[in-house]
Amino acid sequence: MQVTTRPAEVWPATGSKAAGPSPMDANLAICVRGMAKHYRSPWTLRITRGLEELDLDVERGQVLGLLGPNGAGKTTTLKLLTGLLKPSCGNAWLLGVPIAEPRSRKPLGFLPEQPYFYDYLTGLEYLELAGGLSGLPGIEAHERARHWLGRVGLGDRPRLLLRKYSKGMLQRLGLAAALVHGPEILILDEPMSGLDPYGRRDVRELILEQHARGVTVLFSSHILPDVESVADRVAILHRGRLVRAVEPRDLAAGVARRVIIRCEGAPILEIPPGWRGRVARRPGGSDSEFEVSSGVEVNSVLDWLVRSGVKIRAVTPLGTGLEEIFLSATAGNAESNDGDAPRSEGEPPSVGEAQPLGHPTLPPGRGGPERGIPPARLERGRRVA
Amino acid sequence: MRAPDPDPRTRRVAAAWAVALVCAAAAYGLADVAHRWVPRASPLEELSYYPSGDHLRAAAFGHDEAAADLAWLRAVQYYGEHRTTDNRFERMPHVFDILTTLSPRFLSPHVFGAFAMAQEGGDFEGAERLMRKGIDANPTSGRLAFEMGFLYYVRPGGRDLRHAAEYFEQAARQTDAPPASARFAAFSRQHAGDLRVAYELWSAVERETPNRYMREIAERNLEEIRAALEQGRRELAVKRLTTPRVVIGGGP
Amino acid sequence: MIAALVARNTFREATRDRVIAGVIGAGLVLLLGTQILSPLAMGEGKRLTVDLGLSGISLLGILVTLLVGTSLVAKEIERRTIYNLLSRPIARPHYLLGKWIGMIAALWVVTGGLGLALWALLLARGFAPNALSLLQAVYLAGLELALVAALAVMFSALSTPVLSALYTLGAFLIGQWSDDLRAYADQLPGALAPVLHATSNLVPNLPLFNMRTLAANGETTTLLHLGLASAYALVYCACVLSLAAAAFESRDFK
Repeated sequence: MQVTTRPAEVWPATGSKAAGPSPMDANLAICVRGMAKHYRSPWTLRITRGLEELDLDVERGQVLGLLGPNGAGKTTTLKLLTGLLKPSCGNAWLLGVPIAEPRSRKPLGFLPEQPYFYDYLTGLEYLELAGGLSGLPGIEAHERARHWLGRVGLGDRPRLLLRKYSKGMLQRLGLAAALVHGPEILILDEPMSGLDPYGRRDVRELILEQHARGVTVLFSSHILPDVESVADRVAILHRGRLVRAVEPRDLAAGVARRVIIRCEGAPILEIPPGWRGRVARRPGGSDSEFEVSSGVEVNSVLDWLVRSGVKIRAVTPLGTGLEEIFLSATAGNAESNDGDAPRSEGEPPSVGEAQPLGHPTLPPGRGGPERGIPPARLERGRRVA
Repeated sequence: MRAPDPDPRTRRVAAAWAVALVCAAAAYGLADVAHRWVPRASPLEELSYYPSGDHLRAAAFGHDEAAADLAWLRAVQYYGEHRTTDNRFERMPHVFDILTTLSPRFLSPHVFGAFAMAQEGGDFEGAERLMRKGIDANPTSGRLAFEMGFLYYVRPGGRDLRHAAEYFEQAARQTDAPPASARFAAFSRQHAGDLRVAYELWSAVERETPNRYMREIAERNLEEIRAALEQGRRELAVKRLTTPRVVIGGGP
Repeated sequence: MIAALVARNTFREATRDRVIAGVIGAGLVLLLGTQILSPLAMGEGKRLTVDLGLSGISLLGILVTLLVGTSLVAKEIERRTIYNLLSRPIARPHYLLGKWIGMIAALWVVTGGLGLALWALLLARGFAPNALSLLQAVYLAGLELALVAALAVMFSALSTPVLSALYTLGAFLIGQWSDDLRAYADQLPGALAPVLHATSNLVPNLPLFNMRTLAANGETTTLLHLGLASAYALVYCACVLSLAAAAFESRDFK
C-alpha cells in the first residue's frame, strides 16, 4: 500500500510541477494537484487563502487522516473534493473522474461536520432519498436504507421524524447516509465530534470495518489518538498548507519516547556520567523530577533510583510521537510566520500554551504503547516507496 | 505534473445562460403577443364590483389614499380611452363616487369627475351631486367653490348665473380662493340681473385689486351699471351670454 | 430522476409543514366568509363568491410561495442540509428544478383543493357554477403561482430567506402592473416609450393569468388565451430557472 504526500516545503511553493502518478492511475482513489482555494472580500477586495496549492495522492484502500488546528484548511479540502466549493486553481480527481463533474461523487460517501437534516422526514425516508440520489434504484434504496438504519442502531423507530432525533442519533444517521449506497471513497469531516466515548468507539470501528472492505477513507479530526488508531497515513495542515506527512505505524516503531520520573523529596544524587545529557533533573517543587530522553532505557534509570533509595511517585510518558510532530509542525510555522525564535522539534509546549483541541492528557503511569520517532530522526515529508 | 484541466463547470454555466437568453427572448415575444391579442378586463371593472366606496375602504386595509390614487389613475385612463373612442362613460359616476368616498379631501376627482359627467357624460345632475359632496366634505375650500360656480356658469344648454354667482362669492370669502373669484362673482351677478349686488361686488374689486387692468375693467362695469340704473335701461348692463355646449376646464 | 427525488422530498417537506395546512384552513374559512357577505351584494352573491373565492385562492397561494418557497433553497443553505444533497452525484440545476417542481406540486394541491371547495360551495348554495370557467380560472391561477414560485426559487438560491421573500413580493407586484406599464408606454413621448414598452414585456406578465373577471360572470376564455398563458409560463419559468442555475453553479457553500 502506498501513500504519497508532498509537503509544500519540499515542492516548489508556486504549485507542484513535479512528476507524480497520473490521476487516471487505477491505484489512486484521490488525486489532488495544485488545488487551492482563495476568498476575496467583495468589500475590501482582500484575499484570504483558505488552502494553498495542495498536492495529495491517496491510494485505494488507504485511510488518510487530516490533522490541523482550526482554520488549517481541513474542511476546505474536504469540501473541495465533495463539490461544495469550487477550487480557485488546480484540480482533483476521484477514481480518475475530475471533481468538476457530478459523476465523480457517485462512489463517494460524505459526512459533513455537524450534519443537519430535514425536520419533517423520517430516518427511513431520508436514507432512501440519500440512496436514490446516489444512484440506487427505488427498491434497492429502500432495502439498503432499512439495513443501514438498523446497522447504526436506529432501526427500531424508522418512522420517527428527524426533528426528534438527538445529536448522537443524527450523527449516526449521517454515517448511515454516507454508507447507504456502498461507496468506494468515504470522506468524513470530524466524524467523532461531539460524541461520547461509546460513539467514538463505534465510529472508529466503522472506519476500520470499511477499511477492511477496501474502502478508501479520508477523514479530518482534532483528536490525535483517534487519528493514530485508525489512519495509515496522517497529513498535517496548517494555515492552508500541507506541512507534514507521517505514518503512525512508523512512529510506533523505534525508540521509546521521553519520560518524566517523579520522585518523592529532593534526594541528592549524581547522575552517572554515561547518562549525562540524556537524563536531566528538573525542578519539581517539593518533589524531584528526572527527564529521561529517548535513547536511554527507562527501566535502567528506575533501577538506579530505587537502589539509591529514592521513592518513585510516578512515571509519565511525555506526549505521543504524533503529538510532538503535530505541535512542532504547527507551532514552528506559526512562530516563523510571526518572526519569533523557532522552537526545536520535539520540545514540549511550555506551561499555559494552547493545546490542540480534544487531545486527552494521559494520566501518570498509564501511557500508551511506547512509540514515536525521536525528533532528531524525523524526516520531513519523505516519499515512501 | 498537473493533468490537463477541463472545466465542466464553466461549460454548464454557459449552457444555462444560453438557455436563459433563448427563453427570455421567447417570453418577450409571447408577452408582446399576449398584450395585443388577449382581451383584458376593463380597467375599471374591478372597481365596479364594489357597491360603494365604503366597501372598498374595508378592502384597502387602511390604505385608503393609496387605493384612491390607484383608482384615480385608472379613472383617468378610462376617461382618455373612451374620450378618444366611443364617448361612452357609463361607469364614471359610480367610479368617481367610490373615489371621492375613499378620499373626500382629494379635490381633483371631484372637479374632473363633475366636469366630465356634465360635459361628456351629459349628466349635469350627477355632476352637481358630486361637487356638492365635495363641498360638504371640504366647506372651506375656495377652489371647490369656484369650480362649482364655474360648473353652473358653463352648464350645457343654459348658464345658471345665479347659482354660479353664489358659489363664486363663497369662493371669494375663502383663503385659498382663486384670484378671479370676486370678478367672476360680480360678472355673474351683473348678467343675471342683480345689478345692485353686482355694483357692490365690482366696487370691492376696484378697491382691492392690485392689477391696473382689473381696476379699469371694474370701473367700466361700474359705469355701465350706474348708467343702467339711472336710465332704467337694464340692457345697458345685462348682456345675453352665449349658450355653452362643451367646455373642458378653463374660464369664461 | 434526480429532480423527481428532490421534488418528492420538497413536496413532503412543504406539505408536512404546518404552513400549508394553515393556509388551506384559512382558505376554507375565507370561502365560508364569502357567504356572510353574499346577502349584502344585492343579488350578486354568486359573483361575489366566485370573485372573492378566486382572489383568495390566488392570494393564499402567493402567501404560501412567500412563506415556504422563498426559503426552499436559502433555508437549506443556512441549515447546511444542502451539504447532504450536493455532495452526491447530482447536478445543481437538477436540484433547483426538483425544488421548483416539488413546490408547485404543493401549490397546486392547495389551489386545486380550494378550487374544488369553491365549486362545491357554489353547488351547495344553488348558484349553478360554470365548472369549465372555474377550472380555467384555477388552472391559470396555478400557472401564475408556478411562475412566482420559479422567481422564489431563483431569489432563494441567491439570497437569504427574508431578502428573497421581499424580492419575490416586489416582482409579484411589478408583474401585476405589467399591463399598466404597457399602457403608460403608449402615451409617453420620445425615447422613454420603447424602454417602458420593453420593460413591460420583460417583467412577468401576471395579468395574463387573471381570469377572475370572466369567471365572476360565469364566462370562459379562449383557447388562444389558455395556450398563450401556458406557453408563456413555461418559457418564463425556464428562463428564470436557467438564470438561477447559472448563478447557483458557481456558488460556494462555506
